[in-house]
Amino acid sequence: MSAEVELRGVSKTFGSVEALAPTDLSVPAGEILTVLGPSGCGKTTLLRLIAGLVSATAGTITVDGVDPARARAEKRIGFVPQAPALLPWRTVRANASLLLDLNPGRSPATPSHSVDELLDFVGLADFADARPHELSGGMQQRVGLVRAFALDAPLLLMDEPFAALDEITRTEMRHLLTRLREPHGATVVFVTHSISEATYLSDRVAVLSPRPGRVASIEEVTLGRPRRPELEDSPEFFEVTTRLRRALGIGAHAG
Amino acid sequence: MRVARSLIAPVTGVIALLVVWEAAVRIFDIRRFVLLAPSAIVTELFDQPGAYWSNTLVTARHMLIGLTVSLMIALVVGSAMAASRFVEEAAQPVLVVILVTPWVAYMTSIVIWLDFGERPILFLVAFTTFPVFAFGVVGGMRSADPAARELLASVDASRWEVLWRLRLPSALPALFTTGRFAIALALAAAYFAEGSALEPRGLGVIGRRATTDQTGGAEVLWTTIFCTAALGIVGLAIVSIGERLLLRWHASQRT
Ligand SMILES: Nc1ncnc2c1ncn2[C@@H]1O[C@H](COP(=O)(O)OP(=O)(O)OP(=O)(O)O)[C@@H](O)[C@H]1O
Ligand SMILES: [Mg+2]
Repeated sequence: MSAEVELRGVSKTFGSVEALAPTDLSVPAGEILTVLGPSGCGKTTLLRLIAGLVSATAGTITVDGVDPARARAEKRIGFVPQAPALLPWRTVRANASLLLDLNPGRSPATPSHSVDELLDFVGLADFADARPHELSGGMQQRVGLVRAFALDAPLLLMDEPFAALDEITRTEMRHLLTRLREPHGATVVFVTHSISEATYLSDRVAVLSPRPGRVASIEEVTLGRPRRPELEDSPEFFEVTTRLRRALGIGAHAG
Repeated sequence: MRVARSLIAPVTGVIALLVVWEAAVRIFDIRRFVLLAPSAIVTELFDQPGAYWSNTLVTARHMLIGLTVSLMIALVVGSAMAASRFVEEAAQPVLVVILVTPWVAYMTSIVIWLDFGERPILFLVAFTTFPVFAFGVVGGMRSADPAARELLASVDASRWEVLWRLRLPSALPALFTTGRFAIALALAAAYFAEGSALEPRGLGVIGRRATTDQTGGAEVLWTTIFCTAALGIVGLAIVSIGERLLLRWHASQRT
């Protein structure tokens, strides 16, 4: 179950600030696309536009052929914000099922995996009845992932979900995310600052220019699947990260 | 053990107050209407415990009904204010005027309007505490995590769901805090209004009548003051217990 996303001439201006310059982008069904770019270039704005949380100043966006607002109303988008945004009064299990509990008429009748199965998968079975404040940052973000996956949505939008984590936890999280998505196959648009994250996770990387953001280049990640942690030590991985670093302009124009 | 130890300091404080009070009255021979010794209050209380108990219950009832009505209205008005900037800006000056106008001054007008009896008392208690609760509701609801709001929007949660699942729980800590102020205010309003409304029962009426009674009036007046204070302490204790039970998830309740 996966959705395709299409952006044609999409731009966004906040007052006098041009956050996103006219952008064309198409994400085929089942692809993992990473959006990489400097701070303030409009990555979050791009994601919120696709999620239908803000409307575009110009251009059209479709998710599986329909307007993002409609895709949102039909609960076809699993959103993972940068902060875990867990509700402190809910248990871990209740937080994980939050998106299912809301607007329940649109929830999948028979989700492919129950919340408890997913919690077990990410190693949180023993914490299902705990409160968020009893969890570490990495555990909280795992609840955020389960919350989005529980929805069985064909499109997942993730806004730097691992940015606040330490390097080791962060690496584990991208490995976990890859395994979590494998049986499901949803289309993913993933915003990040991390080149290794982009390399490990994605099929393609959209590199944005500094503000106002526009797609400066699209890089293919020529690594096979399934991907496993050992991949990060291989020369192929290194080759892709070097290419991405150049595309971002790091070290390319030294001096 | 922890509870017992945590009681040592407050109990010492109260005992010190009573000792200084009793000593001051005896040493300086203070007139009874100005300040009555605690021992005399206790004697009066044990002289007719039934009368004081039943009048305290009447005042407690006025306070409770007034506060409940006030909270209900504040929840509705506060939700509307939190949902719309326009409503908030329109309501704010009105609430401030209610808050700063001395209710002692217009109580007579309320009695003329609503006639003697319970109605003006309940009205005054609800009217004076309503702005306090309303500001608490608005502030509390506004404190809801913006990332969580966005998350709820990503599945097109209804206004009602946002209110019930996010805004109201977020407002609870602020409501408990304002509840303490409201209790103190409600008690003063109830005591004063009972005296003005010439209700047959309530601490405020017997206190008011006692002020013109040269024989034994001081004893009655000071015992009603004592009972009112005791009522306030019980009210605050109930709020604290409610806070402990309902806000286990909140940072303020963790040690
Ligand atoms: N709601 C808003 N109102 C006004 N300006 C906004 C709003 N949201 C974003 N902007 C502006 O748009 C630009 C792009 O913001 P955006 O959050 O999309 O950047 P970003 O690429 O996600 O940055 P970061 O990597 O730091 O998260 C910024 O200059 C920001 O100030
Ligand atoms: Mg961002």
